[in-house]
Amino acid sequence: MSLIERRVAPADSKLAILTSMSLAVVAALLVTSLLFASYGANPLQAYTALFHEPFATLRGFGYTLVRTAPLTLIALGTIVSWRSGFGYLGFEGCFVLGAAATTWLGLFTGLSAWAFFPLVLLLSFTTGALWAGAVALIRACFGGNEVLISLMMNYVAILIVQYLVSGPMRAPGGVPETALLPRSTWLPFILPGTRAHAGILLAIFATLVVWVMLRKTALGYELIVSGLSPSAARYGGINVGRRLVFAAFCAGGLGAWAGTAEVLGEQHRLMDGISGGVGFTGIIVALLARLNPLAVIPAALLYGGMTVGANAMQRRAGIPSSITFILQSLIVLMVLASEIFRRYRVKLT
Amino acid sequence: MPAFAMRKIVKRFPGVVANRDVDFTIEAGEIHALLGENGAGKSTLMQILYGFHSMDSGSILIDDKPVAIAGPKDAIALGIGMVHQEFMLVRRFSVVENVMLGLKQKLDLRQATARLRSLSEQHHLAIDPHAQVQHLPIGVQQRVEILKLLYRDARLLILDEPTAVLTTHEKDQLFTVLRGLRAQGRSIVIVTHKLQEILELADRVTVMRDGKVVGAVSTQQTSQQELARLMVGRDVNLRAHRAPVERGRAVLRVEGLRVRDDVGQEKVCGVSLEVHAGEILGIAGVDGNGQSQLAEAIMHLRPAYQGHVFLDDREVTRLPVARHRALGLSYVPADRRHVGSITDLSMADNAILGSQRKRIRGLFLDRRRIREHAAQLMARFAVRATTPNAIAGKLSGGNLQKLILGREIMQDAPAMVVEQPTRGLDVGAVEAVWLELLRERERGKAILLISAELEELMNLCDRIAVMFEGRIAGILDAAGVTSEKLGLMISGMSGEA
Repeated sequence: MSLIERRVAPADSKLAILTSMSLAVVAALLVTSLLFASYGANPLQAYTALFHEPFATLRGFGYTLVRTAPLTLIALGTIVSWRSGFGYLGFEGCFVLGAAATTWLGLFTGLSAWAFFPLVLLLSFTTGALWAGAVALIRACFGGNEVLISLMMNYVAILIVQYLVSGPMRAPGGVPETALLPRSTWLPFILPGTRAHAGILLAIFATLVVWVMLRKTALGYELIVSGLSPSAARYGGINVGRRLVFAAFCAGGLGAWAGTAEVLGEQHRLMDGISGGVGFTGIIVALLARLNPLAVIPAALLYGGMTVGANAMQRRAGIPSSITFILQSLIVLMVLASEIFRRYRVKLT
Repeated sequence: MPAFAMRKIVKRFPGVVANRDVDFTIEAGEIHALLGENGAGKSTLMQILYGFHSMDSGSILIDDKPVAIAGPKDAIALGIGMVHQEFMLVRRFSVVENVMLGLKQKLDLRQATARLRSLSEQHHLAIDPHAQVQHLPIGVQQRVEILKLLYRDARLLILDEPTAVLTTHEKDQLFTVLRGLRAQGRSIVIVTHKLQEILELADRVTVMRDGKVVGAVSTQQTSQQELARLMVGRDVNLRAHRAPVERGRAVLRVEGLRVRDDVGQEKVCGVSLEVHAGEILGIAGVDGNGQSQLAEAIMHLRPAYQGHVFLDDREVTRLPVARHRALGLSYVPADRRHVGSITDLSMADNAILGSQRKRIRGLFLDRRRIREHAAQLMARFAVRATTPNAIAGKLSGGNLQKLILGREIMQDAPAMVVEQPTRGLDVGAVEAVWLELLRERERGKAILLISAELEELMNLCDRIAVMFEGRIAGILDAAGVTSEKLGLMISGMSGEA
């Protein structure tokens, strides 16, 4: 008789899920402590350095919000597409193209603020939607593999933006980047004394819309059914191909909005490498949130904060900031791996 | 002294006791049937014997000596073999390669082939050791599984639902083989729902209910009625009563329909049918003769490349599925878990599949009314589950089927296509499904019933169309038909009535 027995169904109470996730995070922190120790640093001090600035100082928290906004938008895009059964990974591409479209509208049209903000949201969303929608069309019509195609299209998008900033949109000067956007196009700062901008409000608004759409509407029901079981969806009279394209539109649009928030809120210009990998970190945030829209905001705050804290940690504890990436990846790995523990129980009798 | 004995077997799963103090004995040279509803614990018991599950307490004796079975490997070494409902064969391998797979001995295919030949002759299995499994009919594949066990010299053969996928002819062949094995002193356990087959084949039958043995009787001293009562725990009406109903207009018409399957092979070759209001038209046939493709094409889940489907004289052949539903056609598919339901969602969510667009108030889904609808459905069709929020995938096959059937009936569409509605269900659930279908017939629905169970068709249908290799081989009036005649027709033995 073994002490551990497989459950008939995994334990899926809220408590079980929360416990296994918390233990996973703790495990990730412990493993990372070993890395800290190898630099001769006290793990406790290192973690204090990592989390103090982004969450316990106003200035740092402002930066955390700046990082949180694009992460949230991309995580939401991931949720809409993955829950609809569309394994989209092209958010880097959507991000940079959205950023490019935003910069173009801001630099070259001279619109008033009243016209500019609605138009820029529309233009950016459309750009991303078409970019991602193309992949969905390929999948729906010809059965192409959206994972590979969307991943490869990231490189295409990044090269397009590289061309734009070193060619047609380049500002005079030594660096391949565009000119600074006019002040009137900048997103307002929302916390005095910090760099936190209105992008976070856009992210919160999008979170609510996505949550309501997926949970409360017939459309969301159809998207989720299409994702869980395409054959049952077809049987229920749902046009799975069309739902797929719709989900891709949302995913691409949200990804592009992340680029818009970055350009109008933080960088105020377009340059090569503007994304800094946020298109992939956003996917990780969505995984950490277990594809639940409401859980995205805390998950994005955690990851956004860690990005900010990484620099403080490097300054104060002398630990390379890249260890943060290891920690971020470990958390997701551990959370995904912790699923298996909910499938077993300890037999005490 | 029994050859194999299981004593006081107890097996608990979290929240359920699958086996409580189960005693089960098998003599040498007997065919023993293990009967019980889904969830009665018979599969668990057999899986303990075959080493898939460990038992919490109890003992297993072979020839009165206690043995420990920790896994299928031990079971095979002790002479216990199992033929699963879904065959464990590598389709691209030859018979001899399949038989040798997993054996830890020197691979001498020539010697193995010779031994297979002699085994096959000895047991009248008629198997060519070099044939590739993928080219063999289902009935022969099953005999390959049996051959596999004989090659390992199994003394006890456990067969799980062995006749579920066989034609009448193949079933007769299987029974002959099993009787031959019995004559050699081997023991056979068949796990089944089918009372008639038990009486025809088995020597003894053990009936389980709620994890306990409720009876172990000789088949000569029992009847279908008694077995059904033992299994369900109450009297069961196995003969459905069909009230006379005036046949109405033709609601669903199919004309010259031609359909291809996924690999482009023609599976439906020009089928024409008319289903009238107040009528159940049956389609009899062995699985794979195009019935599924016909049902899918009627619903337009699969395109028909030629022919027409009419609903109330309106052509719907190429309209989307949602339009079919809106115009009054509902469908109970054969595959409950992948097509008929979404097993990861709640029962309430499953109860609105197909009518989700109508379940809204303003912009949003009306969750309160959806829950009420689901609760109503569960009450009316006796779906046993705690709440409408329970996950549908956790339901037993019978309860899930009642949920799907109930949902489609409550759409109140004038025409229904119902495919294999009682496959794998136990007697109690079969009875409930039959009653519901007959009630809908009396309410004037036009029902197209596709089933591989001849008994079901003869009990429910007004007319029976026999489908063989994509064509309608004949349409019979159900009143005068015998199962022998139907059995011959579905195996393509005789043509027009």
